[in-house]
Amino acid sequence: MSHDHEHGLPPKSSVSRWFLTTNHKDIGVLYLITALFFLVFGGVLALLFRLELISSGADLLGSMGYNQAVSTHGLLMVFWFISPFAFGFANYVVPLQIGADDLAFPRLNALSYWLYLFSGILMGVSFFQGTTFAGGWTMYAPLNTPAYIPGEGLGATSVVLALIMFTAAVTLGSVNFLTTMYRMRAENLRMRDIPIFSLSINLTVWMMLFAFAALLAALMILASDHILGTTYFQYSIDGTTMPTDADNPGASLLWAHLFWFFGHPEVYIVFFPALGVMAECFQTFTGRRLVGRKWFIISMVLVALQSFVVWMHHMFLTGINLPIKTIFMATTIGISLPFDLMVFSLIYTMAKGRVRFTTPFLFSLGALILFIIGGITGVFLGAIVLDYQFRGTYWVVAHFHYVMVAGATALFGGLYYWYPKITGKMYNETLGKIQFGVYFLGFNLLYFPMFIAWETPRRVFVYPDGLQIWHSMATVGGFILGASFLLMFYNLFVSLWRGEDVGPNPWEYATSAEWAVSSPPSLENFPGVPSYATGKLEFLDEETVAERTESIPGAAAHGHAATDGGTATDGGAVTARAAATATAMESTHEVSGEEHASHASFWPFLVSLGGFIAFLGLSGVRTGSVFYLTMAAVGGVATLGSLVGMTREPFHAPEMAIAERWPFERVEKMKLGMWTFLASDIVLFGAFIGSYAFIRFSYGWEAWHELIPAAHVTFPGLVNTYLLLASSFAVVLAMVAAERESKWGVLASLGATFALGIGFLINKGIEWIHLFNLHGSAAFPEGWGITTNLASSTFYLTTGLHAAHVIIGLVIVAYMAVRTWGGAYMGNEKPIEYFGLYWHLVDIVWLFLFPLFYIL
Amino acid sequence: MSHTKLYTIVFGVLFVFATVQALVETVGLLESNYWLAFGIIMVLSVIKALLVAGYYQHLRWEPRSVSYLAGGGLLVALALTAAAAYSIV
Repeated sequence: MSHDHEHGLPPKSSVSRWFLTTNHKDIGVLYLITALFFLVFGGVLALLFRLELISSGADLLGSMGYNQAVSTHGLLMVFWFISPFAFGFANYVVPLQIGADDLAFPRLNALSYWLYLFSGILMGVSFFQGTTFAGGWTMYAPLNTPAYIPGEGLGATSVVLALIMFTAAVTLGSVNFLTTMYRMRAENLRMRDIPIFSLSINLTVWMMLFAFAALLAALMILASDHILGTTYFQYSIDGTTMPTDADNPGASLLWAHLFWFFGHPEVYIVFFPALGVMAECFQTFTGRRLVGRKWFIISMVLVALQSFVVWMHHMFLTGINLPIKTIFMATTIGISLPFDLMVFSLIYTMAKGRVRFTTPFLFSLGALILFIIGGITGVFLGAIVLDYQFRGTYWVVAHFHYVMVAGATALFGGLYYWYPKITGKMYNETLGKIQFGVYFLGFNLLYFPMFIAWETPRRVFVYPDGLQIWHSMATVGGFILGASFLLMFYNLFVSLWRGEDVGPNPWEYATSAEWAVSSPPSLENFPGVPSYATGKLEFLDEETVAERTESIPGAAAHGHAATDGGTATDGGAVTARAAATATAMESTHEVSGEEHASHASFWPFLVSLGGFIAFLGLSGVRTGSVFYLTMAAVGGVATLGSLVGMTREPFHAPEMAIAERWPFERVEKMKLGMWTFLASDIVLFGAFIGSYAFIRFSYGWEAWHELIPAAHVTFPGLVNTYLLLASSFAVVLAMVAAERESKWGVLASLGATFALGIGFLINKGIEWIHLFNLHGSAAFPEGWGITTNLASSTFYLTTGLHAAHVIIGLVIVAYMAVRTWGGAYMGNEKPIEYFGLYWHLVDIVWLFLFPLFYIL
Repeated sequence: MSHTKLYTIVFGVLFVFATVQALVETVGLLESNYWLAFGIIMVLSVIKALLVAGYYQHLRWEPRSVSYLAGGGLLVALALTAAAAYSIV
């Protein structure tokens, strides 16, 4: 195979390629390998505390060591292993399945990966800052605020910051996948017709977009409690007396609400990709289209929606009232119903088809069995009365491992399933089956005894003597499960050299589009523009595309496409045709010498490296140490500099000439990406404002006024409202001027926007300094600072987050003004419009902050 | 095609509404009837937000799907706030 088409990318054998690449397949591979590293990391921690639990008591790791191992095991597995592992497949497979040549924003995709990797490294570094995070993966408040963390607690802060970085990666990824799936589907490929794995990823990223935004709010607030000393999740400690919750009655409940509002959708975010893999493997290895496919999809959509209204079943033992518990019990039991449908659909597909017991199928079937056990035991926990007994015991531990690790089981099946596609080699089938046997045995020996020993308290290293036999069994099971991975790694590694070469489709009945192209696929994925206009996958050559785009754009034939689980003949025909067109297209490519898409950029790596340094610095700034302060400053400058570099780099990622784009036909790629991002920003601000409202409500809405000094008046807020409204108006005028190609008009309007924004910040600065130093105030002799009370904490943090948005906006305005000076945007007002969407949202947020924080 | 005149009118309305919100406090309505004042002020904020979204972010002229996307985010945030507050009533 020639490397003529690698477009500036070094070959795969070169290390530099992996730092430069923005191609979705390379990045998919990077995700898979990195996620497997974190599996080993989290797995070794688990083996350590399983050894500890051979007998009751902390005689191996020590109590703090045990707490750290348990907490970080949970965080690593949930955040740094399962989802990124699934997104390795999503990166590799989704564009191939829907007929796209890459993701919509390839550099952002690389940025997501590097942010993920560096967030994991930051997590690792935290182990060396005294102690790492030790307060349980749910990070409950006030336990995880600095006052309750022994020692300096810098490691814990680093973990919170690492999670923020991880969440940034997830948000970028969600925006990218949604834009891709709504703008880059092959012609005539309706949403409901895309292969079931891609569909599961689509629903997963929808949940991610909103759920992770709520988590981001929670984490930012927690980080602020750690670093700035706000008091959202803290109770006051006045020297000698015990802390009291009288001054902040909502603290621990606020965390529980924010965390579980994210946490429950997260269960399905983890599980849906696995479900998608199971459905693909069931179809391929039974030779049947998924029975009741339509109902399977409807069930998934229902679960995705319902996942946002079940979170309080994690809070049945808190002080929330009985009516709300009852409602959430009902929604929780209700969410098991669509899952029943999906389970029956999978079982019936198996019954109707002819099963071939390959390794991927065995893992998928195993996952189904484990998930059924995990699901049923979960319904117990959804019932309030039973939860009173089971809460905080090993019943919960056993249940969620049967669910989450069942998901991982399916994903390991996916690894075997797509291994030939990714590497072009076949793994050793016998060894794969043996691994499944060992894995399944180890899994059940590890987790099933936990149901029997359910009276063991969760997260605690002491348990009644009578339960020791079950814990010993679990420990043995854990080591067997761990050993099975050695077989997998050996098999997959050795097969890279010794495996048989495979053609495009090694699986007889696999018919989704990734099997229609070579293994591994070429850099451009397809030998032409993919189209389902005739109902089957075809590749349009350049001439046809040119003809079609010149005439009526978007004219598509009727009828719909069968993209997966069809009959074997479909796949064969498609493959043959693909091979034929591939040859034809390669020659036309060489002749025409058209402008190619870009595939290489070093900036995403640099931005993430800068972010890593900045966050490491931030974790220790409260100590005032020169080392940490320097790191924070250097990292901040490096991040900003790299972002500017990335913006200035010419990078070509063309929109597809012909594509299916329902329901966003008239919303171009950048605009859709921007709006998707803004939707998550709405949730972020919403969760901040919601947190304020919740704290104030639990304190006493009107009694709140006693926390605010008389000097905190409406006027500065009103002035800032005027300034911000005027700046929004100025951006609109800049857009109009660009439409009219008036360079001075654009410059004047952007200049006005900038000046008004700066005015906003100066006014806010004066106001803050005044409030910090309230000389002569009887009620606040020390001034009204960030740490003074709840009202000051919420005021400074919420308006501070808003001010940070203003500052980011002003940096962009300044950049655009410079570019306008150079002649940009004349007759192309789109970039100004996209920026305006952001700026107006910042304006809208202020329209609510103003009354809430200044008038009411 | 531009809507400069329309944008200017919208700006005027936004300006006036912001002033009215501050006036509600100045005339002492918050002291005499807090929840009525609360209602007036929040309704005005909602109208202002809709004006900015509808005209400046020109959602009025975009496909409805974009509004649903943004509305989805809003709904999620409101559901969290409302249910959390109700849980401690």
